[in-house]
Amino acid sequence: MKGARITLFFFLLPSLALIFIFGIYPIVYNVFLSLRDVNLISYIRGTAKPVGFANYRDILQDQLFWRALFNTIIFTLLSIVFQMIVGFLLALLFNFEFPLKGLFQAFVMIPWVMPIMVSGSFFRWFLSDNGFLNNFLNAVGLIKEPIRWITTEKTAIYSLTGVNIWLGIPLNFILLYTGMQQIPEELYESAGIDGASGWEKVWYITLPMLRPVVVATFVLGCILTFKVFDLVWIVTKGGPGGTSHLLSTFSYSLAFDRFQFGKSTAVLVIMQAIVVLFILLSSRIQWEER
Amino acid sequence: MRKKRGWKWSILVAGVVALIVSPLYFIAIGGFMSTEEIFYKPPYFFPPRPSFQYYREAFVTLLPYLKNSFIIAFGTLLLTLAIALPAPFVLTKFRFPAKGLWSFLFAFVQMLPYAAVVIPLFLMFTRLRLINSYSGVILALSVFLVPFAVIILRSYMVAVPSGLIEAALIDGAGYFKIFTSIFLPLSAPGIASVAILVFLLAWGNFIVPLAFIKEESMRPVSIGLYVFIGQYGVQWNKLMAGSMIYTIPPLVVALLAGKSIVAGLTAGAFKE
Repeated sequence: MKGARITLFFFLLPSLALIFIFGIYPIVYNVFLSLRDVNLISYIRGTAKPVGFANYRDILQDQLFWRALFNTIIFTLLSIVFQMIVGFLLALLFNFEFPLKGLFQAFVMIPWVMPIMVSGSFFRWFLSDNGFLNNFLNAVGLIKEPIRWITTEKTAIYSLTGVNIWLGIPLNFILLYTGMQQIPEELYESAGIDGASGWEKVWYITLPMLRPVVVATFVLGCILTFKVFDLVWIVTKGGPGGTSHLLSTFSYSLAFDRFQFGKSTAVLVIMQAIVVLFILLSSRIQWEER
Repeated sequence: MRKKRGWKWSILVAGVVALIVSPLYFIAIGGFMSTEEIFYKPPYFFPPRPSFQYYREAFVTLLPYLKNSFIIAFGTLLLTLAIALPAPFVLTKFRFPAKGLWSFLFAFVQMLPYAAVVIPLFLMFTRLRLINSYSGVILALSVFLVPFAVIILRSYMVAVPSGLIEAALIDGAGYFKIFTSIFLPLSAPGIASVAILVFLLAWGNFIVPLAFIKEESMRPVSIGLYVFIGQYGVQWNKLMAGSMIYTIPPLVVALLAGKSIVAGLTAGAFKE
């Protein structure tokens, strides 16, 4: 429909102004800050000096940065793969009509609905050295010594990934389930007449038909998982010794624990570059899917 | 219609679902137990000597934080809807220059890591004196939630019949009139769904109040729960009781409006 542009512009103005001033401008501002020697005092006084790429050099020489980058990749990939597998299997379970289905479906959404501080605190207890999981495994005789799920350098990031998989079940389930509902029933019926077993139907009908939904869920999962901050901050705060940091928590701790805003924003600029790269890549993948 | 399965299937599904929601159960019973009982080996699956004391104490402690959470969640809900609602009217119903670009920008801001926006905003807000204020937190949350809302609303509002709007334009109705008396009422289910999602996300958000509110008396529950995580050890029973109290509002919303939540989330994810 055609319309008077000026009048219509006023409908867009509030939202565009908000995201330009408080969304786009800050990430451009990050680039500016990352080239300066910014701490809280130099920022408030306006005396932060330009330092060229010194912040980037410091970051790239920092072992913890590389560890955080490694963790972010591991965390994102493992989370997505397992979230999608669990979500898919769960969606298969729900792909029938059965008593109380609606109620159960609402229950599956609970991990998404619980505030992250609540689920994070729970897992901090559940996974602690003398927490529920160790006490349980010990009681049933599977382990003698407690496993230090979140207190050693080796295990912490994988335990956090496990928790994040649980957090992602609702969204992955609901997206894949909705996708499954779109597959025409006749396909299954005619396959049944041809003698296909249940699993054959899943392999030859459900999976190929679901492909666009799987791709969309994967792309969305990458973006959402790359954003994760709070889970790690609440459960380990990046510890022990900064070895379970993601890029997000690493940059936050540089800013708010050490007040090194220059270095912190250098990490943020690297993160932003990854997001932009991912958008370019994923729009290509999704374009080829069509 | 999908194939039917009987109660046996329900029991299987119930088992799987119980596993998924078990954390909430253990939080709920943890609030009735002493710290020794919470860490008892072998672990308790039911509180052995349930005491209501921790829930009562946690509630009294959390009351001011709950008030702050409600202020922040409802403030964010109002601001986000006020800013987001008009945008899809133009984006779905009219020709407008660079529409694709504007739509992309909403998606783009939604994809940004929270930290990448929160840290520079902290510096900006320090200058603007928006640290330690409800308005700062509400504004920052809206930055993330407005794009989220616009994207979901757009997928609902596409369905409003364009013919009605055209007819009203021919009858001489103004844009604002059409927006308020045709467009919004016809998008009611979508608006309800978005309102619920925005409330839940604002209620549960952690990083924004963590960065922007240093003043204890203004903190929402997400950060307020740290009062039970002292420097000399955690009061686990009160932390769990408090966590449960904090979870009740979103839980009630989810169980009453589960369908809306699901519809909103899928609309936002797929319809680009």
